[in-house]
Amino acid sequence: MALTSDQMVLLYRNMVRADQFNKMMYRRMMQGKLIGFYHPAEGAIAPGVGASTFLNQDDNLSPHHRGHGITHMLCKGIDIKYYLAEHTGKETGCCKGRSAFHFSFPEHKVYMMSGFIGYNFAPVVGWGFAAKRRAQGQVVMNCSGDGSYGQGRAHEAMLMSQNWQLPVIFFCENNGMSIFSTAQEMHPQENIASLADGFGMPSIIVDGQDVFAVAEASLQAIERARTGGGPTFIEAKTLRFNEHDIGTPDLSGWEERSAEEHEAMRKREPIRIATERVLGDSLLTQNEIDQIIEDALAEIEAVEQFADESPIARPPVEELMAGVFAD
Amino acid sequence: MREITFIDAIREAYEEEMRRDNSVFIVGQDVRGAIFPHTKGLVEEFGPERIVDTPIAESGMYGVAFGAAQEGMRPVCDFMFGGFSYVTFSECSVTTGQYHFLHGSQHPLPLVITAGVGTGQRLANDHAMSIHGTFAHHPGIKVAMPSTPYDAKGMFKSAIRDNNPVVIPWHMGIMMLKGEVPELGDDYVVPLGVADIKREGSDVTVLANSLQLQHALTVAEKLAGELSVEVIDPRSFVPFDMDTLLTSLEKTNRLVVVDEDWESGGFAATVSARVMEQGFDLLDAPVTRVTLPNMPVPGGYMEEYVAPNPERIEAAIRAVCA
Ligand SMILES: Cc1ncc(C[n+]2csc(CCOP(=O)(O)OP(=O)(O)O)c2C)c(N)n1
Ligand SMILES: [Mg+2]
Repeated sequence: MALTSDQMVLLYRNMVRADQFNKMMYRRMMQGKLIGFYHPAEGAIAPGVGASTFLNQDDNLSPHHRGHGITHMLCKGIDIKYYLAEHTGKETGCCKGRSAFHFSFPEHKVYMMSGFIGYNFAPVVGWGFAAKRRAQGQVVMNCSGDGSYGQGRAHEAMLMSQNWQLPVIFFCENNGMSIFSTAQEMHPQENIASLADGFGMPSIIVDGQDVFAVAEASLQAIERARTGGGPTFIEAKTLRFNEHDIGTPDLSGWEERSAEEHEAMRKREPIRIATERVLGDSLLTQNEIDQIIEDALAEIEAVEQFADESPIARPPVEELMAGVFAD
Repeated sequence: MREITFIDAIREAYEEEMRRDNSVFIVGQDVRGAIFPHTKGLVEEFGPERIVDTPIAESGMYGVAFGAAQEGMRPVCDFMFGGFSYVTFSECSVTTGQYHFLHGSQHPLPLVITAGVGTGQRLANDHAMSIHGTFAHHPGIKVAMPSTPYDAKGMFKSAIRDNNPVVIPWHMGIMMLKGEVPELGDDYVVPLGVADIKREGSDVTVLANSLQLQHALTVAEKLAGELSVEVIDPRSFVPFDMDTLLTSLEKTNRLVVVDEDWESGGFAATVSARVMEQGFDLLDAPVTRVTLPNMPVPGGYMEEYVAPNPERIEAAIRAVCA
């Protein structure tokens, strides 16, 4: 599915935004201006951008935990200021400042996040089930890492989605790592997409450093799901430039990841790959790119200002108790 | 005696037990690289056959421990964070608890379940919840939680040697707490099922564990001169040392139970009921509990006042002594 120039420019803009948002989160964690932890997405932003940019408002999205889903959510049109406010414990946060790193934007059909890796595989079946019954072409974009496919529930979700031909896209962001463990050691085959074969589910393996390739594959899967063609497995091969989460050692197994590994990874920097493409195809000029970066920085400044100026959430226990059950 | 940290004390217990008994091994995720330092460096001595990393597959990971224990090994299954054990809850609670008894009490299941637990990192419910109360609810599983480096080393050794499934989480809030521990090679154990009086007093008994024990001791010190607070660490929840508690109540006649778990259906509720049943005549005031309110543990800035803390413990002590 060839992308139009407008689509490519939108993808490029979202790449720049995602990259700058990730840098902002990294910086704030280092400055002690985030609650909890942060799992940096540097090197791994193209899969989320490619998967999420062309979703409709009423499509379900389960963002990957890496980058805390920001890459994905901002491409779906979600205003990240409410998430940053949440991550800084503020009253204006998307979960009223009570959740640390969890997000919830039900109006955008990004319902939830849980600290349990692989949690997404249970609800996506229900979203797909509902979408199929509703029959309005709604699709479910289910993004998670290579490691999450170790969970039995991943296999249950694939089984049922394929049995019932649900409009669920199993979007695997394979960065080859799960904390210190390599996918090479933890998965018996080179491609996680091989799992789809056992269910007879069509699969696509794509270069996850190339946002345009990811978007093309995603559009193909979205189209199939929207038109009743059932699930697709997409494996985006990507990289993790940083340690698993800020402050944790950067190990492979129990040894430091090597300088050579880092050097080789950095050659596959996704923003640079995208920039070379848009310049090479004369889709954007350097001046326009500079403007896109400036816009992203201005957007982020406003987001940070909103979070920083919002009051800390410290409601009394009685008020919290009143929120445990719905009316 | 030398001083070491709480988390190093757990590691020493692993080291000594693994050297002593070749059937002991650790299974978890990223335990070789030591996502928490209680497994740091172990792979270098014991190799990846005994310091075993699995995929993110808690059911399979626990299955390794469960099945290997049935085959006569002594596994330690590390869930990293306590909440992750719930991913394989039917296996590690229901099936584990019933295995020995329901099959005619003929085949023991010697395994250890551990994980970091507790509030203090502002991460919210899934990364902050306690698990001891939930496991204690399932008969057939021993449940304990150490509060000092000395107890950590001795209790982990006991847990590994026990012929039953033992759930022994450790609280992340006291990970770096330092304390005295006997010299290396001094093969002491702290038996499961024995409480410990951590501070003697005569006006009121406070039962508290782990991070909350530290809070209780702080408050007891603060109130010294005004109120004499006896602080008891249950150490084990199952079996629970009721004798030590009742003996203390004979002296103090007042009880505050601090438990970093929900109010409803937790260990504190069990203790209160048992004291009413077995020691009603000893009480001069109703038992008072300091627990988590019955809401998913909030993260952010709410954790510090929602969870039990020194202020709430002090208020409870004053109320029960009023
Ligand atoms: C049920 C559960 N087990 C373990 C963890 C600890 N954990 C957090 S992130 C992670 C690795 C996830 O790997 P992957 O899915 O490949 O995503 P990546 O971090 O590589 O982006 C693990 C093991 C967890 N959060 N939840
Ligand atoms: Mg990964």
